[in-house]
Amino acid sequence: MDLSFLLAGAGASMTSFFAPTFLFLFLPASLILYAAVPKKAKKYVLLGESYLFFWFISGALLLYLVLSTAAIYGFGIWLEKIQERMKTALKALPKEERKAAKPAYIHEQRCVVTLAVILHIGLLLVIKYSGFLIENVNGILSFLNSPILLGTPRYLMPIGISFFSLQAVSYVVDVYHGLIKADRNFFRLALFMSFFPQIVEGPIVRYSQTAEALWNVQPIRYQNLTMGLQRVVYGMMKKVVVADRLNPLVQAVFDQTHQYDGGIIALGAIAYTVQLYMDFSGAMDAVVGVAQIFGITMPENFRRPFFSKTISEFWMRWHISLGSWFKDYIFYPITASKRMKNLTSSARKKIGNHFGPLIAGSMALFCVWFCNGLWHGAAWSFIFFGMYHFVLILLGNMIGPAVKKVNGKLHLRAESRGYRYMQIVRTAILVVIGELFFRAVSVQSGFNLCGRMFTTFSFTGLSFDTMSKLGIDVQDLIIVGITLVFVFIVSLLNEKGISVREKIAAWPIVWRWVLLYALILYIVIFGAYGFGYIPVDPMYAQF
Amino acid sequence: MDRLIEILEDIQPDVDYENCTNLIDGHFLSSLDIISLIAELEDEYDITVPAVEIVPANFNSVEAMRKMIERLQEEF
Repeated sequence: MDLSFLLAGAGASMTSFFAPTFLFLFLPASLILYAAVPKKAKKYVLLGESYLFFWFISGALLLYLVLSTAAIYGFGIWLEKIQERMKTALKALPKEERKAAKPAYIHEQRCVVTLAVILHIGLLLVIKYSGFLIENVNGILSFLNSPILLGTPRYLMPIGISFFSLQAVSYVVDVYHGLIKADRNFFRLALFMSFFPQIVEGPIVRYSQTAEALWNVQPIRYQNLTMGLQRVVYGMMKKVVVADRLNPLVQAVFDQTHQYDGGIIALGAIAYTVQLYMDFSGAMDAVVGVAQIFGITMPENFRRPFFSKTISEFWMRWHISLGSWFKDYIFYPITASKRMKNLTSSARKKIGNHFGPLIAGSMALFCVWFCNGLWHGAAWSFIFFGMYHFVLILLGNMIGPAVKKVNGKLHLRAESRGYRYMQIVRTAILVVIGELFFRAVSVQSGFNLCGRMFTTFSFTGLSFDTMSKLGIDVQDLIIVGITLVFVFIVSLLNEKGISVREKIAAWPIVWRWVLLYALILYIVIFGAYGFGYIPVDPMYAQF
Repeated sequence: MDRLIEILEDIQPDVDYENCTNLIDGHFLSSLDIISLIAELEDEYDITVPAVEIVPANFNSVEAMRKMIERLQEEF
């Protein structure tokens, strides 16, 4: 076995939780060491393992993570000291004078928060986006026939920076809001920032969600171990059997210059949407599963998004931790700002209850979706993806009351089964179109593909012969289809409030192990790996 | 009538505000209604509702809103 991954920064393959180096070496070794040491040492072992994991995948760039943790550690304590000073000073004042004295302290705290945000988001902007910005500036300069062009900087970007930077900002802002106390224990904060199962692809957790649980470590329990393993294996099935098997088809449609007809492009766009969902939600299953083995409950990042009836609902079910971060740290702070509140008040009086708040809401929504698009990567196609969803959600908000009126006149009941199915299918189609632009190599290519999908659509091109030329044969389609039916049934039961995992946990032990081995065997037999398949990196790790 | 209920009725009529305890979770008030409501509450009660207070628990019932308003008025 090639052990070169043990060198600093050479273990990039471990960014996938389903890579043999992670699954058969790093994870078992971590668990054995964690189980072997006394309870008092477990949390330090977990922190050591987390830093070691980051060192394997990012080498010396581990310094970013350590410095980021050190910075928020300092900012948190700084904020708390101002808050303590404020409390003492205000208590000493008569009640009527307190209101006038408070803003100076709030201003001081806001300066600290701003500094922390500039440091983290500013660094992220420089590392991740300066190349993109300079490329565009150079484009304008060339257009203007300028003889001067700017040099494009190249920075080394640690894996997971987009995730842990947002966690760092949320920690500082939460201390500022008084939602949490500043952590005086550097190691606890460091473990919250670096816990290895979530460092590559999230979820983006809040300090209040995991920090205490991580520090109050639990011994590895049999039930946690088996349920955690089940979840990892379920995620692995989604990734290895479905997502990776669809990869050749997706690459053929999106990365080649061949002009396919609309039917194949539609199939490619659906395949990519399925691939992304299976890849990312599969990785999240692994994160939740591995964390559960350590006795940690991770927040869920997906809640069966393809049962959504609207695009807004879809984003409350897909990459939940990112959407919730944008809502709490961008949307509400903008809408709750003094200027926006004044705007809402005056607009309501002039243009009514519905459109009045829509102006401030739309501005905040625009910021959210611009940031959401940009967060995914430094490219116009990602910004377009964000704007596409901004427009869809804005339209939904604008025409909501009109749709209700029309439904009333046509005697359509929004609660009826048929209407709900129509909404679910419509939302899925809109999502697939959005993902087509997300995956396209450029916005222009996205428009080209989207245009062809609608103008040259036909089922005639979808023959098995064409499929095999696209790198996917009948066997692939059957395996993907059967697995998706299985995932759909599990999702449907969960959607109806039936916890499949709890049901399985109530089975006799023999059947539980039979199921686990059956799943493993299924992955071994039908997984897309080995000869003829190129290993696919976790799709969200690149963001 | 209670001033708070008047404000709510003005923003979104046809809701039984006296008895409803899931105004947000039951989708009786939308995020746009909340944006309007906060602006009105600040004017009416001379309070500042920070972003961190915008959570369903504070807006699910008239009682919860009253408690939040009283808390914010007492804050120095």
